[in-house]
Amino acid sequence: MGIACAVLMTVLLVTYWYVQGAEGEIYRDMADHNRLRKVPIEATRGLIYDRKGDLLVENVPSYSLLLDRSRDRSLAASVEFAARVLDTTTSALDAVLARDHDKPDFVPVLLAEGLTLGQVARISAQALEHPEFEIHVDQLRLYRHGPQTAHLLGYLGEVSEGELRSSHGELRAGELVGRKGVEEEFDSELRGRDGVRVVEVDSRGRPRKEFGRLPATPGRSLRLTIDLELQQEAERLLTGKAGAIVALDPNSGAVLALASAPSFNPNVFARRLDQSQWESILKDPGHPLEDRAIQDAYSPGSVFKIVVAVAGLAEGVIRPQDTIHCSGSKVFYDRRFRCWWPSGHGWVNLHKALRESCDIYFYTLGQKLGIENIAKYARLLGLGKKTGIGLPTERPGLVPDENWSEMVRHHPWYPGETISVAIGQGPLLVTPLQLAVMMAAVANGGYRVTPYVVLDGPPPPPVPLHLPASVLAPVQSGLVAVVNENGTGVRAAIPGLEVAGKTGTAQVVAQKTRTLNKDLPEDLRDHAWFVSYAPAEHPRLVIVVFVEHGGHGADAAAPIAKDLYETYFKIDKRKLPAT
Amino acid sequence: MRPISRSISGSFRLPDERASLHTLANVRWGLLVAAVLLAGIGLVVVASASATMHVNYLPRQALAVALGLMAMMLIFSVDYQVLLSLSLPIYAAAIALLALVLLVGHRAGGAQSWLSLGPLHFQPSEIAKLMTAILLARVLADADQRYVGARRLALVLAVVAVPMFLVVMERDLGGAVMYLPMVAGMLLVAGVRPRIRFLASVSLVVVCALVWSFALLPYQRDRIATFLNPGRDPLGAGYQVRQSKIAVGSGELTGRGFMRGTQSQLRFLPARHTDFIFSVLAEEWGFLGVATVFGLFGLFIFKGVQVALRARDRAGILLVVGLISGFAFHVLYNTAMVIGLLPVTGVPLPFLSYGGSFMLLNFMVTGLILGIDFRRYVNR
Repeated sequence: MGIACAVLMTVLLVTYWYVQGAEGEIYRDMADHNRLRKVPIEATRGLIYDRKGDLLVENVPSYSLLLDRSRDRSLAASVEFAARVLDTTTSALDAVLARDHDKPDFVPVLLAEGLTLGQVARISAQALEHPEFEIHVDQLRLYRHGPQTAHLLGYLGEVSEGELRSSHGELRAGELVGRKGVEEEFDSELRGRDGVRVVEVDSRGRPRKEFGRLPATPGRSLRLTIDLELQQEAERLLTGKAGAIVALDPNSGAVLALASAPSFNPNVFARRLDQSQWESILKDPGHPLEDRAIQDAYSPGSVFKIVVAVAGLAEGVIRPQDTIHCSGSKVFYDRRFRCWWPSGHGWVNLHKALRESCDIYFYTLGQKLGIENIAKYARLLGLGKKTGIGLPTERPGLVPDENWSEMVRHHPWYPGETISVAIGQGPLLVTPLQLAVMMAAVANGGYRVTPYVVLDGPPPPPVPLHLPASVLAPVQSGLVAVVNENGTGVRAAIPGLEVAGKTGTAQVVAQKTRTLNKDLPEDLRDHAWFVSYAPAEHPRLVIVVFVEHGGHGADAAAPIAKDLYETYFKIDKRKLPAT
Repeated sequence: MRPISRSISGSFRLPDERASLHTLANVRWGLLVAAVLLAGIGLVVVASASATMHVNYLPRQALAVALGLMAMMLIFSVDYQVLLSLSLPIYAAAIALLALVLLVGHRAGGAQSWLSLGPLHFQPSEIAKLMTAILLARVLADADQRYVGARRLALVLAVVAVPMFLVVMERDLGGAVMYLPMVAGMLLVAGVRPRIRFLASVSLVVVCALVWSFALLPYQRDRIATFLNPGRDPLGAGYQVRQSKIAVGSGELTGRGFMRGTQSQLRFLPARHTDFIFSVLAEEWGFLGVATVFGLFGLFIFKGVQVALRARDRAGILLVVGLISGFAFHVLYNTAMVIGLLPVTGVPLPFLSYGGSFMLLNFMVTGLILGIDFRRYVNR
């Protein structure tokens, strides 16, 4: 066996001798003339439109300048020429070249990106004198509305080493892939498949003859459920604030607007970012990259009273006409809990409790229900778990119960916490999108929708929650009263359109004494909520407004919802009396 | 006790006495030096091959070499008799590993053959080969007739068939085929009746035909067809072989120099850090580099065969033969494939190709062979 091996190795060695010795010159010639080159044909990434067909994302050509130093007669002359055309200094270009100085000189290095057509023309015109320059064209992603659709759409980033390894050869090194939002979630559909060309090139690298070609398959274009006009208005209304707005169709779950502020410009990610640009985005105290509509969870405050009311009626703990007396505060478990209205609401039934957001009524109801029942209905209405919108950054929030307390906090649930949860405080955390799903279920007669952003086939079927009209109708009528019967949501009232909703003011810090919000430093101010739907009779739109540290929901959130309804239902704002 | 009494009995036994005392002189240095030099050359070539890739594979390959050296010392320090006595549990563990890959493994390049332990990924099919060889050596060593009996032959085939089947299930046909040279080498040395040898050759042809028509995936059939007719597929396998041949040939006698190979650095060569690492070597170091590496492989195999000839028991002989056969097959196939003499399939080059699991296996093989040689005078 050893002999057989020795013979085979000798044969191989002789073959190598032949290939490298006798035929070597032929092959060296072939290598020197780089005869065959495999050139990838990049697939065009799919476009993205809004529901009406307005273009949100497109691809535009972008020109970069490469320098092949091995074809250079004089590097200094090349740099000088490039600096003149690019309108920059030679020292700046030398710095760029220094970055790649360890690469062999026949590997072209990137000199500049984003050339103008004029610069491309000037360099092409000098191709004979300066054969060392190559112009490379690639497609640049352009987000037409920049920050206004940034969180929803996401952006593109260079593929990471880990993704490269786990992609099973589908991704090339240096390729751009979707990051966050629709770009990430639908990346494989938008990307398409690259093709390839095998070309024979001459000594200057110019293609002479094509040997074969596998065409690229362009990516699929997507049409979103988003209403661009509503989306832009939502972003405009959040300008200068931190917060989120969700608008969805309560019957299908189609998302019409999904806004988060502060925002960022996704177009800056389309090119290589330098360190300072990255840091200014990452270190921004407003955390502009975070999608507050789906990624961050907050205390819902009084908005959660809708859930507690549904639970109370469905479990038969209260009837709509039952009354509770509010004197401004009440003791539960040896601790005094206050109503937001210090002088008290007097005798309160469900209708009045919702309209005026009476805390004492819901403390009492919460105590009767217990945390387990509250948690059950919170989950039924879509809180405490991801809604399934199909965007990568969505978080589940938290619906606390006894089991959670034992498992996570390692101590029993305190009954006093139930009282806080009954008005949407305590460990309870929700995302604005979850509240939109909750609101939709109340509005559409008890169906939990799955929100979606891409119009493609039938919407995901809503889940019937088996909540009878006897449960939902009193809550709905209470929510109409909030806006239309001088309740807390009066600033969302629109003549000619019956809006139903609920305000919420979530405490950021527990306060011993009531301090006026405007006197507090901004990061300690309450979060403002307004969840709503319209028209009350046949709901077509749910709007959730969240303003971080905005103060009262009645003042900071409700007017924003009003503006959005007017936009969507085309109600002329100028004809309305000033509010 | 016997070695000592033997040394007393006659002065001409002096070298044996030194050997019996487990001195370092008893280590087969040629084998070790060849392995370490090859791995060192591998690091240089991997550095060059990944210079223009987006991932620098050098640190990971260096780590694999370091781990390999440790694994080699570890396996060297264990008496192979202990391994033989534990061959059944070791084999069971190999099967369990392969089954685990099928259940929770990762897919890469069409094959599902990776296991992840945190940041580490490894391919159990490599180590499983070594683990299977130990049981095979034990099964065949027990036979003392001139030829292996039919029942034992069936047992041997069954022992190989299970891991091979699992590797095929991982869609790694090439990996499964790599079990065959190992088994064939062991069987030939253990002794197989001429008519069975004939039958095996015939059935190999039949199986090849069957595999060709039923079991091969389209891309695999493509590669073989392209090998037979390189002009038919300029985009796929034909391109690969053509570029590889240009790389090898353009190296001429002295090579183009470290990191100066246009074929390698301009990314004409696919898989240049793994299966086609030898073309990078040939391009940048020329025939001199090729001959050096061939010399080192020759030294390794020659020393390995020497160990087999001098091992003190059948199991030791068989184990070394199996391991060296597998090793030699990899070397011969890969170097032939790179210049288009054999169809392209995933056969890496020992010690040179990038890949941690395979590096680990080859160092473990080295450690095991060194250990078997080291203990050739120790008695049961």
